Amino acid sequence: MERKTKAALVIGGGIAGIQAALDLGDMGIEVHLIEKKPSIGGRMAQLDKTFPTNDCSICILSPKLADCFRHPNITLHTLSEVKGVTGQRGDFTVKLRKYARFVDEEKCVNCGDCAAKCPVKVPDEFDLKLRKREAVYPYYLQGVPAVMTIDRENCLYLTRGVCKICEKFCTREAINFEQKDTDVTLDVGAIIVATGFDPYDPSGIPEYGYKRYRNVITSLEYERLICASGPTGGHLLRPSDDKPAAKLAFVQCVGSRDLKNNRYCSTVCCMHATKEAMLAYEHNPRVKSYIFYMDLRAAGKGFQEYVSRGEQEYSISYIRGRVAKITEDHNESPIVWYEETQSSKTEKLTADLAVLATSLMPRRDVEELGKVLGVELDEYNFFKTDPLNPLDTTRPGIFVCGCCREPTDIPKSVTQASGAAERAAETMMR
Amino acid sequence: MEEIKSFKDLDREVVEKGICGKCGGCVSFCSAGELNALEMTENDMPRYINEDNCQKCGICYMICPQTGTLNVELQEKFGWKPPIGDYQKVTSAQTTDKKIRKICTDGGVVTSLLLYLLERNLINGAIVSKKAGRFTRKAVIARTREDLIEAAGSTFSGSLHLEELGGKYTTYTPILSTVKSLEKRYLQDVAVVGTPCQINAIRKMQCLGIIPAHLIKFTIGLFCIENFSFDDVARERLEKKLDINLESIVKLNIKDDFIITMTSGVTIHVPLEEIDDVARTACFACQDFSNEYADISVGGLGSPDGYTTTLLRTKLGSSVYDEALHRGYIQERTFEDSEESKLEKTKMMAKIVSYSRRKRMRAEKKLSKLAGGEMLGEKN
Repeated sequence: MERKTKAALVIGGGIAGIQAALDLGDMGIEVHLIEKKPSIGGRMAQLDKTFPTNDCSICILSPKLADCFRHPNITLHTLSEVKGVTGQRGDFTVKLRKYARFVDEEKCVNCGDCAAKCPVKVPDEFDLKLRKREAVYPYYLQGVPAVMTIDRENCLYLTRGVCKICEKFCTREAINFEQKDTDVTLDVGAIIVATGFDPYDPSGIPEYGYKRYRNVITSLEYERLICASGPTGGHLLRPSDDKPAAKLAFVQCVGSRDLKNNRYCSTVCCMHATKEAMLAYEHNPRVKSYIFYMDLRAAGKGFQEYVSRGEQEYSISYIRGRVAKITEDHNESPIVWYEETQSSKTEKLTADLAVLATSLMPRRDVEELGKVLGVELDEYNFFKTDPLNPLDTTRPGIFVCGCCREPTDIPKSVTQASGAAERAAETMMR
Repeated sequence: MEEIKSFKDLDREVVEKGICGKCGGCVSFCSAGELNALEMTENDMPRYINEDNCQKCGICYMICPQTGTLNVELQEKFGWKPPIGDYQKVTSAQTTDKKIRKICTDGGVVTSLLLYLLERNLINGAIVSKKAGRFTRKAVIARTREDLIEAAGSTFSGSLHLEELGGKYTTYTPILSTVKSLEKRYLQDVAVVGTPCQINAIRKMQCLGIIPAHLIKFTIGLFCIENFSFDDVARERLEKKLDINLESIVKLNIKDDFIITMTSGVTIHVPLEEIDDVARTACFACQDFSNEYADISVGGLGSPDGYTTTLLRTKLGSSVYDEALHRGYIQERTFEDSEESKLEKTKMMAKIVSYSRRKRMRAEKKLSKLAGGEMLGEKN
């Protein structure tokens, strides 16, 4: 009997979705990879380095981005959203909304002449609003596809009918304001969901003073600050006065293991705090870091050794105690108040910068996606799975991997992605 | 689709009609974008450097305080209401710094607020105007306490600077053309002290989210009746009328009337009506006395000597003022009791409102005259 080979759909162009798409593509299966943002890469592209090897994140991600882009079996759909899914395992009909980029992907060479002339300045989402960008912009420097995008919310032509300066300066004639949003229908046999996470907003814990104190930042903001392609060119400078930060306080479990917020452990924070402290030390050996933790969770290949290296070689002090509150001194230096649980004493520590290890949470719009896909979410809004079928959602033929399933580090996301790809392929070959 | 209005239209509708306020908004935008189509003439009027460079983007037309294109949007954004725009509080305050008090025009509130913002790293520069010669002023970026003090004095009273340009004197300092050079100096957060037309142009740029106004974090607006532009004829006329020599003026201020302090120490009070004929004609088409879109508006009107009347307008303006007060940079005028305080504040507001009305009525008259003239012109 002739085997029915359909295409597969992967939702989410982060490291998990990319790996799943590559694996399926390599098996000879046609894949549609859907990404809401203008470029694929996801959260991993925002990180400076990865634990436990301290590899440059974008350096190990970039080859995969390029592979995805060039793969004969993978079709990228950026600026796209899934609007409807009907059918069943082996025979789904997916409605896709593709939003106009207003830039011709075939013509644009990413030279940046348009952005250099665009008069609009808005906070850059990729750099967590730590810098401003133009209304015509590359989502990030190494983004794939490597083309510009016009931000319809802020473009003066699209909002007010004036300007069009970019069009006049584009020598490739790649700017196209005539582009329209389009609806596409895809027939697929299986779906993999890999939509990732959003970080917890620590304004929800007012005692930590996030947004009130300028030198209290989140881990993801820290990743951008210490990244060479980030808003400060990799210099770890205090937001309040642009002075180098030499004494760092890492506050763990911000929004995680917290009865008022998320009860679960976000699993990656002990390790990324260790990594972030190491990076600061590598930039400047006079940096002294303190990591305030409840329990140090180093369960993973090479993780415990990584923590030991942090203590021995990178001058990191691990202090067991949950931070009660953060105040600031006259220099706007954060003062971290905590109970040192080994001595049961209340102590304080003044640092140059406090870094909040914010919880990994389901995407804010995940409920809508859950409804569109017709799958159940768990009590925290992660995709519901079964312990013995850990990559299957509640709807047959739809699989899940990475941080939309539960907080997951990069190696495990990749592992799950390969597993989900195999599950999807199996479904389609049936 | 309707043709985008460009600088050609701006030139015809504003500059040629004599109602250009010389705020420099159009030029500062055009040069910040390195479009190189516009420049300021020696008389601070905008003109084409090279019309071929004009991209006909229409932005200069949109941000001009005189075209009114974004007026409704601005009013909505700032919750504008008659007669003087939105405000949270009116107060009379002065600096606590002895050095500043000695040199300031009114109460030194502007210098002290800027000092607070600089010292707290809330801004890393402030655009102010500074004496460059006996009657010359130029816009400078103050980055330290010393810079600020050097620039203080009648500088901040806005309509009171004398600037020598060719054979002319003007009381106006072009600040917006300084804004364009900001990014090159790696300034990120800047405060601007400006006249209503200048602040208006900045707010319109901010409405659009465009350069170079994205760098401006805080605006202090000066009360402004009009700026004076003394060409040789007007100057002679004024000297004759007041029987003074303009060379021997040390300080100018406007409160209830025009106050001229001479080198001899003599102070002359002149009713405002009498000096209207030397004011810049563009100012007659301006409807904003109390700087309705600034974060904080200030002026001498309504306060006793040594104090600045301060209108806290935006939330940001209020919080900066409160913090500066809390940290002892400024202090408020004290009153016998709450009755007196209430009475004085009512008086202050009444003055501001009456000056605002006067300016608005004058502008309406001027604008309707201009509109009438246009109709006549069309008939011909």
